[in-house]
Amino acid sequence: MKGSKLIAMISVFALVGLVVAPGSAVAEERIIIDGSTTVGPIAKAFAEYYMSKNKDVNITVSESGSGNGAKSLINGMCHVADMSRFMKDKEFAAAVKKGRTPVAHVVAIDGIVMVVHPSNPVKGFTVAQVRDIYMGRITNWKDLGGPNVEIVMISRDTNSGTYETFEKLVMKKKKIYEKAEYVGSNGAIRQRVQSTPASIGYIGLGFVDRSVKALEIDGIVPDMNTISSGIYPIARPLFMFTDGYPKLGTHLHRFITLHLSPRGQEIIEEIGFIPVTRY
Amino acid sequence: MELKTRRMLDRSFTTIGVFAIVLMAVSLVILLQPIVWRGAGAFIFRETVENRKLNLELLGRGSRAKVEIEITETEAARKPVYDMMAAFEAEMEEGGSAFRKQYGREYSELRDMLSELLGPLPGEKNPVLIRAQYGRTRWDRAQVKFHQIRYVEKYDYSDPDRMGVKIEKPRSALFESTSIEPLFGYLEENIEQMMLPKLTFYWRFLFDRSFDAHFFGGIWPEVLGTFYLALGAMLFAVPLGIVTAIYLAEYAGESRFVSLLRTCISSLAGVPSIVFGLFGLAFFINTMKISNGKSVLAGSLTLAFLVLPTVIRASEEAILAVPRTYKEAAMSLGAGKWHTIISVILPAALTGILTSIIISLGRAAGETAPIIFTAAVSVGRPLAIWQTLSQPSPALSWNIYNLATEHEAVDEIRHVQYGMVLTLVAMVLLLNLTAIIIRARISKKLRG
Amino acid sequence: MNDRIYEHTESDLRSRLLMSRGTRRHRRLGALAGDTVLIVIASSSLIALLFIFYFIIKDAIPFFQIEGVREFFTSTRWYPSREDAEFGALSILVGSTLVTTGAVVVAVPMGVLAALCLSDILPFSMRQVVKPVIEMLAAIPSVVYGFFALVVFAPLLQEKGGSLLSVGALIVLVPVSIIGVGVASDLIGARFSEGSRGVARIASAAVLSIAVILVLYQLNRFLGGLRIVSGTNALNASIILGIMALPTVVSVSEDALNAVGRELREGSYALGATRAETLLRVVIPAAKSGILAAVILGVMRAVGETMVVWMASGNAARIPQPIFNYLEPIRTLTATIAGDMGEADHVTGSARYHVLFAMAFCLLVFAFVSNFVSEMILRRSRKQLG
Repeated sequence: MKGSKLIAMISVFALVGLVVAPGSAVAEERIIIDGSTTVGPIAKAFAEYYMSKNKDVNITVSESGSGNGAKSLINGMCHVADMSRFMKDKEFAAAVKKGRTPVAHVVAIDGIVMVVHPSNPVKGFTVAQVRDIYMGRITNWKDLGGPNVEIVMISRDTNSGTYETFEKLVMKKKKIYEKAEYVGSNGAIRQRVQSTPASIGYIGLGFVDRSVKALEIDGIVPDMNTISSGIYPIARPLFMFTDGYPKLGTHLHRFITLHLSPRGQEIIEEIGFIPVTRY
Repeated sequence: MELKTRRMLDRSFTTIGVFAIVLMAVSLVILLQPIVWRGAGAFIFRETVENRKLNLELLGRGSRAKVEIEITETEAARKPVYDMMAAFEAEMEEGGSAFRKQYGREYSELRDMLSELLGPLPGEKNPVLIRAQYGRTRWDRAQVKFHQIRYVEKYDYSDPDRMGVKIEKPRSALFESTSIEPLFGYLEENIEQMMLPKLTFYWRFLFDRSFDAHFFGGIWPEVLGTFYLALGAMLFAVPLGIVTAIYLAEYAGESRFVSLLRTCISSLAGVPSIVFGLFGLAFFINTMKISNGKSVLAGSLTLAFLVLPTVIRASEEAILAVPRTYKEAAMSLGAGKWHTIISVILPAALTGILTSIIISLGRAAGETAPIIFTAAVSVGRPLAIWQTLSQPSPALSWNIYNLATEHEAVDEIRHVQYGMVLTLVAMVLLLNLTAIIIRARISKKLRG
Repeated sequence: MNDRIYEHTESDLRSRLLMSRGTRRHRRLGALAGDTVLIVIASSSLIALLFIFYFIIKDAIPFFQIEGVREFFTSTRWYPSREDAEFGALSILVGSTLVTTGAVVVAVPMGVLAALCLSDILPFSMRQVVKPVIEMLAAIPSVVYGFFALVVFAPLLQEKGGSLLSVGALIVLVPVSIIGVGVASDLIGARFSEGSRGVARIASAAVLSIAVILVLYQLNRFLGGLRIVSGTNALNASIILGIMALPTVVSVSEDALNAVGRELREGSYALGATRAETLLRVVIPAAKSGILAAVILGVMRAVGETMVVWMASGNAARIPQPIFNYLEPIRTLTATIAGDMGEADHVTGSARYHVLFAMAFCLLVFAFVSNFVSEMILRRSRKQLG
């Protein structure tokens, strides 16, 4: 039968995949990390750094939002929950009910930076103006000293800690206008802003690069100094939560304290966030 | 209507029909062209000396002697740059506060960009992240960076009805009549000697793991994850699907139960993929607790339900295509029904069933929505086969989404995204092509 | 058919089957047990469907218990994350409807025309080339379409949106208006007497073409002047979804067209009809229920698609103003589920988790109903034609 030759070929292909696989690194212990996309870059860089130093551990990182991180930790589905906001009372209560005690580790400090397209002449706002834009009260750049172009507002999805921080620190209980576009991550906001001249968005300090223009808020440039000293108005700590303090000497313990080591701090600074020791 | 008009109508109708087909083919080409072209850039590109350095130091690839010669060569070409920078720094030191105010910010920007292009400048301490340890490893990225060094972006705001229009001004004008001005001319002349671009074929892109969050390295964990997920799904779906198909084709009559079954199968095929994802989360993970959190197993099971209808339908067709005479011959020889099916019908329908499996395999490999909540993570090691039972894995489809939207340096790693897209598309299309070829051979045989 | 296909010779068959004679009784008992197992396994898709319904409904009901039904379907205020959360999904439902409509507008005319072309116009050899193209379009994963929409198409729409739209409009409208002018002038000409008919036709054709050209020019200028502020919008998602739904529409309606027998076609030709007339007046009416089923299946594909709309629609929970403004971003059910599941902490039993299941339930009901309808239509048409 001619078909059988084909079958044989295909099964060989399939088998090659299965046989090659176990040949790759065999990890003994694993650390599962879930949560915020803002903390994601730190977690990913830490994970790769840690795995390169310790061959016997497999660290997986999902970036699915702060709330999801909390949920996974409470359900015992991850060891570390990245969060760009603190745990809510409800989440704490749920965790305690399940016999878990979330312990917060502040890994870095982050500022929320308002960004626009580099072609935008606007230099900065007040917090009140940002609020007005996102409430739909200011809809045109000309009201802010820019050209006569309609503002495209871009917001993080409602599942992010960044969104909730923004809501708390900037919107002050006011609701974001329904015309705002929602995207799933910091990277996506920057991408939308750099490709859309009329847009405005907000991202974590670590995501700011030359392709977008960071705005001054209340006349203060967002940078490492203004944020770590608390002068810049929209700043927040970034957390990793664990269930209880990890047993000393375990991989989890060494991983979760990586941000306190000089190497860890360098990584955080290189990614663009502010190490906690920089006060 | 007149005959002439009718004929014209007929002809134009034909034209429009053909036009629709052409439009379809064109949209396929438009879709595939950037994917193939830019995806190939992940494999074949011009690497700079930095890439060879990285390969040698990180992975021990390449010949040490050759790379070392190249490094000394490029260091020689770079030295004047570093010297000019040192001279300018000295000039700033002497120039007093007014001078420093005028050039301080501009110079630190230039310095940052030069270190991004060439790697850490002499005297700087070596950074921890790999992305900061080396200069631009790809010549195309190096050229983008070089362009940024040469030109300052300014904007013209004269039109009140639009955003500023980009104007590029040479950066050298900012540093006019200082000791660093000649730097730009020197860079212009010697950039190739400083980077030594060379065409390379990075076939290991498929088989390397990623280094430093996909800035470097390949996509092996993703490829492997996709492989496991798709094969795992088939492992569950194929037996179920074939048995169901046998039942429908050989056992069932036209009872009410069978028509209910058929409605269920087509309904299952119509369930949106994201609903499968929610179901997988609610059932396999939250209720059955088959794994503690996401795992390849949970994802495979979810995908199995998704492809089940496809497998059933196509297998049934294949079984029905087996000539009745075969079955009758077997029966007349005294074989039982079950025996007939196993020893006569299934072997005869095997190629047809195989096509259905191949197509479903492609479908399972490409699905994203069902694995978001059940199996996919953005970073993880390649798994060994027994680890798939309990651990999640990256997968091509999810990581395309993840890298294209969530990564902190989306633009820097465009080539990786396109490379992943190309790999996924190639995988799926190759599977489909195989199926098409097999099918063509069957129908050729059938026509004799 | 040829016996060479399945290379079992008779002796081969016999030798395999004879072996089993001795154990026949044993086998009969086994067969009975086998049959039972068979039915159970065959019901797996039934069981799967029941499970899906059960698990989605189980988590959807609490939402309606906590928040009630009215707000979900009538309010456009979608603020799921706040303390005083609001779960008005109307704008999201409208968003799903909008992109689906857009996708249908793209996919159906093109798909049906392509199906006609495949079944009646193209020669057999060409068909063998075209079919794989359609299969390839169908096989490309949705995340690839989404990637294309986000990375290639959205920036293109922003930069050259107006001219793209006007070129697209011209591609569609020019052939349509040429045919329209031809038919209209012919009809007008027919009203005149034999002698002046030719002149009347030419005159009316000239007048009509000038009018059409003027209209097209104006439209073109309007579209060309449009500035698309944001490339991820309903239009982008609609076009890409339309292309994704195309293969479904083509293959199902081609089946329907093929099911119309040769006799009908030949009868029509025998009466002197041209091919276009045969197709439009005879074949399409005969196959219309099958084509309708194809449209429904295409709609289902578009409604249920996640990655493309998540990446390309902009995800703004707002009904566009005016409602047919496809250049505004919209948000769909599937994208909301995919995007919001992250924060939907079911641990704390929030309505926010259950609202997503309520949305999934809506999708499920829609898929189920439309599948049922299309099944009914197909079954009826098969009976009619069969």
